[in-house]
Amino acid sequence: MAGLRASLAWRAGMLCERGFRGMTNQPTEDKARSAIALILRYGSLASTLVMALGLLLILVRGPRGVPGGDLPILPRMLFARLAQFDPLAITESGILLLLLTPIFRIIVAAVSFGRERNYRYVLISLGVLAVIFGSIVFAMK
Amino acid sequence: MELTWLLLIKLVVLGVVAGGVGSLTGIGGGLVITPILTLVFGIPIHQAIGTSLCCVIATSSGAAASYVEHRLSDIRLGMTLELATTVGAVTGSLVAAMLSREALAVLFSFLLTYAGATMVRRSHKAEAVAREDVEPYQIKRLPLGLCGSGAAGVVSGMLGVGGGVVKVPLMFLAMGVPFKVATATSNFMIGVTAAASAFIYYARGDVRPLVTAPTAVGVYLGAALGSRLMRRTSSRWLIVLFSFIMFYFAVIMVWKSFHGGFAR
Repeated sequence: MAGLRASLAWRAGMLCERGFRGMTNQPTEDKARSAIALILRYGSLASTLVMALGLLLILVRGPRGVPGGDLPILPRMLFARLAQFDPLAITESGILLLLLTPIFRIIVAAVSFGRERNYRYVLISLGVLAVIFGSIVFAMK
Repeated sequence: MELTWLLLIKLVVLGVVAGGVGSLTGIGGGLVITPILTLVFGIPIHQAIGTSLCCVIATSSGAAASYVEHRLSDIRLGMTLELATTVGAVTGSLVAAMLSREALAVLFSFLLTYAGATMVRRSHKAEAVAREDVEPYQIKRLPLGLCGSGAAGVVSGMLGVGGGVVKVPLMFLAMGVPFKVATATSNFMIGVTAAASAFIYYARGDVRPLVTAPTAVGVYLGAALGSRLMRRTSSRWLIVLFSFIMFYFAVIMVWKSFHGGFAR
């Protein structure tokens, strides 16, 4: 009986400690760190795989099967050609995925700063995001 | 350009070498990709820079992921300085569009010479740096840091490199950030900085998929390979050798700018 009570008290202590630790910055920041690392690692891996797939398809079908040659496809044409399983479109979407990876990383950071209620850094993240979106909008014109 | 197996293999090899050497020596792969694409493959320098920017994202992402996990990157400082690097990068990419091939090549040679000299100097104390532990630090001179980061962003967006040669000394010497943290934080910022200008190169048609994709795939493989090898090899002689290759490229690029011979 005494053993059980001691064990319950120990568990309660653990719960309190965990609850308390959850309120400090450190564990949340660790979560943010692992989320950011995940995005960086798998974003670059996925885009590399997509680019490699596209290149292999181009080579298998022969370079003559690539309409449009080496010029990049316009973004508004990309989805239509992707739906046709166009190898050049696949290659190019791999490149775009690579360019989007850092943007996903900012979004993840902004969300984790929001969970920490660290609004100053939420604003900073949104500011960086605004500069990049500004550059995309400017580029598309 | 027609994509053949041979060209594909050559570009992948270029990427593997750039990514591998980059992760072994700690200097970004972007510094070798642009000179080799312009001098060896005869690709116009604006397109070479566009390709290099994409490769810089591929090579920094893997390393940045492990720096972030090991708590070496200062995420808050990095995000704050990114405000300046991204604005600088957009500016740099707009300036690059206005510059001639020759002007860009000469500017690139300056950067190569500076980066090579930094590497030679650093190779003497490479081991001392490796043993340094991270101690608590206080960030100093943030306004200066923001200005310097803006300049690093301009260099990155204009010449298609990561800009570590500017950011690391800035954080280490001026802002009181330990060397290891400065390196890791600089790496953390590279992807976002490069993306800010890469979209502008992309929209301009300077990211050619059949050149960029093979090189980027190679860079990814090379960076992964390099970080495995890093624990086993001593990189000191590699750094010295690599910096001499950079001096050589710098000389050739200046020579070509004044005697013509860059691809249109």
